[in-house]
Amino acid sequence: MTALDASSAPSRRVVPRWLTRPEIGLAAIIAIMVAVFSSIAPGFLSPFNAFAVARDLSVAIVLGYSMMVVLAVGGMNLAVGSIGVCAAMATAGMQAAGVPMPISVILGLASGAALGAVNGIVVVRTGLSSFMVTLATMSIYFGVMLLLSGAEAIRSLDADFIAFGRARIFGTVPVMFVVSIGLALILTYFYRATDIGRQMLFTGSNPKASELSGVPVVRTVVVAHALSGLLAGLAGIMLTARTGAGVPSMAGQIGRDWLLPAFIAPVLGGSALAGGSVAILGTLLGATLVGVLGSGLRMVNIGDFWIELFLGIILLFAVLADRLRSVWSPVSGTGP
Amino acid sequence: MIPEPLKRLALADNVGLATILVVAVAALAIANPAFLTSFNLYVVLTSLALWTCVALAQMTTLAIGQMTLSLGSLGGLVAVTVGGLCEVWGVPLPLAIAIALLVGLAGGLLNGVLIAASGVNSFIITLATFSAFHGLTLGLTRAIPFYNMPAALKALGNARYGAIPLMLGIVLVVAVAVHIVFTRTRLGRHMLAYGGNPQAALLSGLSTARIVIAAHGLSGLLAAIAAILTVGRLQVAQPTIGEDWLIVSFAAPIIGGASLTGGHVSVPGTLLALALLAIINDALVLLGVDPFWVQVVLGGLILAVVGANRLREGHRLGEAVAR
Repeated sequence: MTALDASSAPSRRVVPRWLTRPEIGLAAIIAIMVAVFSSIAPGFLSPFNAFAVARDLSVAIVLGYSMMVVLAVGGMNLAVGSIGVCAAMATAGMQAAGVPMPISVILGLASGAALGAVNGIVVVRTGLSSFMVTLATMSIYFGVMLLLSGAEAIRSLDADFIAFGRARIFGTVPVMFVVSIGLALILTYFYRATDIGRQMLFTGSNPKASELSGVPVVRTVVVAHALSGLLAGLAGIMLTARTGAGVPSMAGQIGRDWLLPAFIAPVLGGSALAGGSVAILGTLLGATLVGVLGSGLRMVNIGDFWIELFLGIILLFAVLADRLRSVWSPVSGTGP
Repeated sequence: MIPEPLKRLALADNVGLATILVVAVAALAIANPAFLTSFNLYVVLTSLALWTCVALAQMTTLAIGQMTLSLGSLGGLVAVTVGGLCEVWGVPLPLAIAIALLVGLAGGLLNGVLIAASGVNSFIITLATFSAFHGLTLGLTRAIPFYNMPAALKALGNARYGAIPLMLGIVLVVAVAVHIVFTRTRLGRHMLAYGGNPQAALLSGLSTARIVIAAHGLSGLLAAIAAILTVGRLQVAQPTIGEDWLIVSFAAPIIGGASLTGGHVSVPGTLLALALLAIINDALVLLGVDPFWVQVVLGGLILAVVGANRLREGHRLGEAVAR
């Protein structure tokens, strides 16, 4: 589960390569934060809090992956929040209408994938930037969802579905967290061992060269957007199971509250916006850092209000540090 | 066959947009006479005035081929700055406005300096400052609005001459100034040159760092003006001001002919796009359409216009090649 880089070239450097990886820095920061918070607030490491943090993390990790998979092909998906809410409301609506739980979840995920695929198809057909297309579709999807749901929350969910959101193994590990870890393993396999996964990385690092060497770039980009929609839908459905209700405003107006968490995890983890690489472990650690920081600040009574300021500063430091790292190791194969 | 002058007219900037606008106004006036009442026109023009500086702020960063995600959260910070200075510290209004404008300018300059100094993508830097500004706003106010705004500020946001809001006059002056910056000044030309081709701008000896910092500073200043006007209009300095700026800030300049890749912006185009958005919004209300349609129509409009612009560019390019 390390970052895969399609354009990495062997190079000589003073510091061993693994030490300069963003994952190492992230893990160190997380360890320090856990140590500090647990010494100030003894309740921080309690099984109850650990369970709550891990459950929040699970959703954030999946959300981070939903952005990571489009960043990998050099695109982005501003509609993750909107798609997540659409899939969640579809699932909740079907359960309220008596559709069996597994079918409602599968169809909910499929609706997320379909909305993502529409993004991808519009991107490749029109040649517009994915930024512009998903900016438009985040508004459209959210509007349609409001029209269909009447902006009402759906609370009559399947009992097993809610039980899944609360289930734990070994006392403290939420089942949802196991889902996220499983997803990380699947994505690692996907990008390392499958043709379509490797084609995505190749497409992201150099679309022209990929096209010329016979990679089906159009299909690859559409699949990446569909995968992003699927994962955004999964995040939305997991959040619904956790809160026990399908709420149209759960990602804020037009889903914009999910933008920051969706980008921050992969970017902290070392995914390049330019595409061509995925940081699967990094994204997991990025989401963990955000979750631990949020929970810790709440425990030491700094309060919810300052969290965003800290997140912004951390994101800033992370990208600036990354920048310095690439300046200090001039032999790096990829350049800025 | 379409006559050549007509074809050229159809391909000219803003003509398509102006035509749609005229048709929309005429259709709406016929469909519902309430549209032409003085009060309704005042509502439409007020919405136009409130959004103008928001759109111009984003347009300025689009000019250099960058973007500002932090526009809205900087607006929120400026709004609570005005509110806090007036209500908590009793600072006189002109001074409070001056300080608030400086906060906006400083926020924009900070974005510019971070981007220019680090070379990191403006999307990521402004995503980080979006979070930081928003956190600062929420942390300082604990998400509680300031309610006691000076009467002069409220008057600024609500004074009207018939159907014309006072604010419209203010933002038109600002818009003309921004138009002059981009069409008549060296700084404006340098910004567009940098947006069109940063490498070429650097090679021809322009101070690219200064251009980037100036563009973001101007953008922050415009966001601050928008925030102050919004406080005046709402009569409350809410920390949530700016939260709904993101989509419109991109939609209006892009519909008005700006390109995401930089080098081309149009103040008249942006204003026409805003007028069109305001009228569509008003039409949905007047015709009793479900307000949730607003989101769908806005998104659809962005796709349609951006797609059409792309086709038009392709057409122009084809012609240029054919010649």
